[in-house]
Amino acid sequence: MQAHPSHRNLTQLLSKYPKAAGALFQVYNDLTLAQRWTEVEVIDLPDCQRAAIKGLKPSSDAGEPASVYVVLPCSLAESISTSWFRDAFASLGTNAPEAIFVAITAEDSSTVYYKISKGIVKPPL
Amino acid sequence: MSQVQPPSRSKKFSQKFSARRAENNLIYANPLPVIFPSPPPPPPSLLHRLLGISVSHVENPHCEGVLDLSTRSVWVLGMGDAMLLWQRGFFGKGDLSRSEPSWLARQVNARKQAKKGGLTSEEVTAKRRAERKQFKLDRAKAMAAAAAEAEVAFQEQGRVISTTYAPDGTRIIPSAATWKPTRTQEAQTGEPASSPKPEDTDDDEDDDEEEPIQNIEHLQLTLQEAFFLLWNLDCLSVLNPDTDTPLTLSQIWHAFQNAYIPSPTLSPSLNAPHSPRFDNPFLINYIVYHHYRSLGWVVKNGIKFCADYLLYKRGPIFSHAEFAIVVCPVYEDPADQESSPFNLQNASPFSWSWLSTINRVNAQVQKTLILSYVTIPARSRISEDVLSSPACFAHYSVREVVVRRFIPARMRD
Repeated sequence: MQAHPSHRNLTQLLSKYPKAAGALFQVYNDLTLAQRWTEVEVIDLPDCQRAAIKGLKPSSDAGEPASVYVVLPCSLAESISTSWFRDAFASLGTNAPEAIFVAITAEDSSTVYYKISKGIVKPPL
Repeated sequence: MSQVQPPSRSKKFSQKFSARRAENNLIYANPLPVIFPSPPPPPPSLLHRLLGISVSHVENPHCEGVLDLSTRSVWVLGMGDAMLLWQRGFFGKGDLSRSEPSWLARQVNARKQAKKGGLTSEEVTAKRRAERKQFKLDRAKAMAAAAAEAEVAFQEQGRVISTTYAPDGTRIIPSAATWKPTRTQEAQTGEPASSPKPEDTDDDEDDDEEEPIQNIEHLQLTLQEAFFLLWNLDCLSVLNPDTDTPLTLSQIWHAFQNAYIPSPTLSPSLNAPHSPRFDNPFLINYIVYHHYRSLGWVVKNGIKFCADYLLYKRGPIFSHAEFAIVVCPVYEDPADQESSPFNLQNASPFSWSWLSTINRVNAQVQKTLILSYVTIPARSRISEDVLSSPACFAHYSVREVVVRRFIPARMRD
């Protein structure tokens, strides 16, 4: 893993939170290299014992404009709860976005993204 | 009585479809990485005919992977080995792709998009999804407009008009079979953003330099897939990430189990675990993986459908998975569950709502849910010394229960 080009951007956070290191590395690679997110920065969230990734999601073919999202990586082995999400929103501070993505990684590098909003949100038409 | 000519489009389409199928049958012909090439015809002697045909040799590709503990997987970095393991048995997954390692091909495509030919599988899927989304929008708009018009006609003139067909017989509401994407969408879907290239130097300029893109994708094998390949087929060697030397079978056996025990370092622990346990997640998942692989199924990860594994009859290329497996470990001795350092998922009985959720998700995608019960032997009955080798697998058992939702009103036939 050390030889991977993404590693130098993440070294400090990978060693700070070793239990979340695999998920962070996989999600960072997926976002920057496969999903082609731009202006990616990594945010340290000590209360959640992990780092989050903030970046600009490219506009999709359906015509939505590019927008900034925060992604919280976690692995399938962890068990999470609603208080976990509450802590995540709280750690993101006062200008936290309305919705975040939770990226769940599996051991074969499959990643699924779930959009979590603060409170009940009516689905779009 | 005019002769009905088949439209030329469908004839070419079916030819292309069968050509693609034939090509896939050639590429994905081998179900496992080791090949048994058919021996040359034996010399015409009576003795040989009596003895029968024998396998002259086995072709073993000897692939190499490196263990990575933070992601709990084995990385195959060489693309030759990676494509071989994917094409012969669909082992592993490209870590930057949806299945087959195709990241480099997609980057090259993105560069040469002006004069390109085919698309990679991700791009084909993205295009298809965009078209389907547009079709649904068109259909919704047409339905709303037709309904409004019918309402107006009824209010003003008291007559009822059909909302599906116009007076001249054409369809008002588009159907999926005949809808065509408009030109503007095709232009949009063919246009990707420029991809960041981390391996380029800082003073790279924008003009078309044709610098070769370095491939930073690898094939990621789960610990279970890696162990299956190296223990049963002996076609994979796993390197220690710190020393780059191959690990022995017993070191791998210990390291894979230790990967699930929280440890302060990221170096693999090559000695036996301090307190080996029968309910180590590596063992449980390996038993299920081995059970279905040895029966001929292609076993892949099922996270997309709320399951542990998906079973493919021949491979993801050929057809969708028909079965989704959820692993339910069952402790022979409940005291073992209480003393367990691993919190195995689904070891306690499900709540009804959880089972219903998983079943519904899979029923929507036409998959059958299978609960695989793995019996974990009791520590009181069997000593943990058997865990020093894979011979311990003989003490576990796997039983399947198929879950289908029964709707009395609809299932009379």
